[in-house]
Amino acid sequence: MQQHPFARAALALALGMALSSAAHADEVALKSEIDALRAEVAALQAAVKQMQAGQTQAIAASPAAAVTPVPVDAGGSPSHASAASSAVATAPPVARDDAMAGTNFWGYGELNYNHPTDDIGDTQADLRRAVIGFTHAFDDSTRVYGEIEWEHAVASADDQGETEVEQLYVEHSLAGNYGVRAGLMLIPLGLLNEHHEPTNYYGVELNFVENAIIPTTWREGGLAMYGSTDAGFSWNVGVGTGPDLGKWDPSSDEGRESPLGSIHQELQLAKAHDLSGFGALNWQGIPGLLVGGGVFAGKIGQDTPDFPADGAQLVLGEAHVRWQPGPFDLSALYTRGTISDTQALNLTYLGQPTPVPKAFWGGYAQGAWRALEWGQSSLVPFVRYEEFNTGAEYAQQPPGFGTPALPTERVWTAGANYYLNPNVVFKVDYQHFNYDDEALGYGNRFDLGLGYQF
Amino acid sequence: MKVRWLLPFGLVVTPIAHVAFAAQYMTVEQAQRAAFPDSTEFTPRVLDVTSLALSGAPQGWAPKAWLARADGRVLGWLMVDQVIGKSELITYAVALDAGGGVKSIEILDYREAHGGEIRLAGWRKQFAGKTGADPLELNKDIKNISGATLSCRHVTEGVQRLLKVYNAALRGAAG
Repeated sequence: MQQHPFARAALALALGMALSSAAHADEVALKSEIDALRAEVAALQAAVKQMQAGQTQAIAASPAAAVTPVPVDAGGSPSHASAASSAVATAPPVARDDAMAGTNFWGYGELNYNHPTDDIGDTQADLRRAVIGFTHAFDDSTRVYGEIEWEHAVASADDQGETEVEQLYVEHSLAGNYGVRAGLMLIPLGLLNEHHEPTNYYGVELNFVENAIIPTTWREGGLAMYGSTDAGFSWNVGVGTGPDLGKWDPSSDEGRESPLGSIHQELQLAKAHDLSGFGALNWQGIPGLLVGGGVFAGKIGQDTPDFPADGAQLVLGEAHVRWQPGPFDLSALYTRGTISDTQALNLTYLGQPTPVPKAFWGGYAQGAWRALEWGQSSLVPFVRYEEFNTGAEYAQQPPGFGTPALPTERVWTAGANYYLNPNVVFKVDYQHFNYDDEALGYGNRFDLGLGYQF
Repeated sequence: MKVRWLLPFGLVVTPIAHVAFAAQYMTVEQAQRAAFPDSTEFTPRVLDVTSLALSGAPQGWAPKAWLARADGRVLGWLMVDQVIGKSELITYAVALDAGGGVKSIEILDYREAHGGEIRLAGWRKQFAGKTGADPLELNKDIKNISGATLSCRHVTEGVQRLLKVYNAALRGAAG
């Protein structure tokens, strides 16, 4: 290895200056300083060895040897203690780097069996959905979050199954307690739309209110901000795409089954002329209690040429409460939606079975009780009562052309979730409807289900 | 099928594959100071939890412990550990008093998209006073947070494990 002539000269100069300086120093003081430095280096070497031993999980011979004091600050002064504290605080707290990888996968799914008691020929078994989710962290404040879903087992041109991207957004944390998301996101309304894994709800099927009125799993493309406060509030506000009223099919039963479910766009070549806004606020300041609500509102005409309801406005609001004292899990939710300016549109639908409703609503109350628990398993019977109406009111029309409101459906559901472990659930229930509607599948039935998540 | 064009992407992706999205609310040092403001020294203790053979302990489990003292007087312990919430790691700290009861817990890093409500003071306060003798079960001793069930369950289980570690390895080891 060659040294540059200037480097050699500089080294010689520095050495000379050091020797010259040392010649004038107090030899006793210098020796004392060197001794102190040697002691400090030895202490640091011991500390480094102990930290390395901790990270590599040094094997101890017996439980009695499971803890080893680190002689960094034994008998040390407060200043030494402070230095040691800084050293350990900046070290990685745990050694599980393998699990810290930036990409993670998870999943959930459910298989359902429905047996209508008055029409057993319609008994059906279905792989309702299988979902694979992922996140990938680009850095410690930005990540992408996605879920891919398959419904009804087989998806092809000749089958009824669907493959869909249920969520796909980029999230950026602006601070510890708030951030921003952009992409295809779940709308933060209700108790289930954002938490619809089968282990999270009682009964084989989702409740009707959070299916027919709030069209779970409801997602839109857009931009949202979210955050939380130390007082227990969490909030989420955003702007994005909304439903397209131009998709309404008055000849189909879909609009009667779920008004918004029949016109949602799911970011599939979505018409985006008219944007919607949403906001949700929840409070969980008392452990076990959740109180909250949210609103979604926007124009849904989407500037369609010659569309008679171009100015139609959708407003959907909801409020919910959930209380989990001890082994009990009690919840209630009410939601109501309105669509304005539908009079002219419904006139064009005369003679068709399904006009656009002016108002639709639903509510439910549910109680569950963890009656038995052993090891990881538990048995949770529950009962739920719900009322909902997807056509509670229609825009006024000239005499003889109006549409009467639909009857309110009332459903009792009683059953049990058996959790083999917290992530695998077997379900059984019986549902009683106050009126049957064969087209919508409303009729007393017995259900079985299997759900999981990981 | 020609896949050579993928090579540059692989080279780009590989170096960033070991990063994690994380909201850091506290460092270990801040947690030490918050739990034991009067402490004059925090002595790290190397824990060999594999020798304790605790049931349910995750593979690669490596909690950390520091003994908090003020002028030689033992104030308690601070333990730092990680559990998986739904699919991401939660880093948390448990402060124990000199008798082994929970003084407080703090969430240091949270990485999940949902469930961050476990940081709420009301939820964390439920652990105060618990010891290794308490069953410490979610929905019984510790109330759940709706929408954060997995995070609540796994942190609760984690605290329970740390209390067992204290009983097996740290109790009486403060000298």
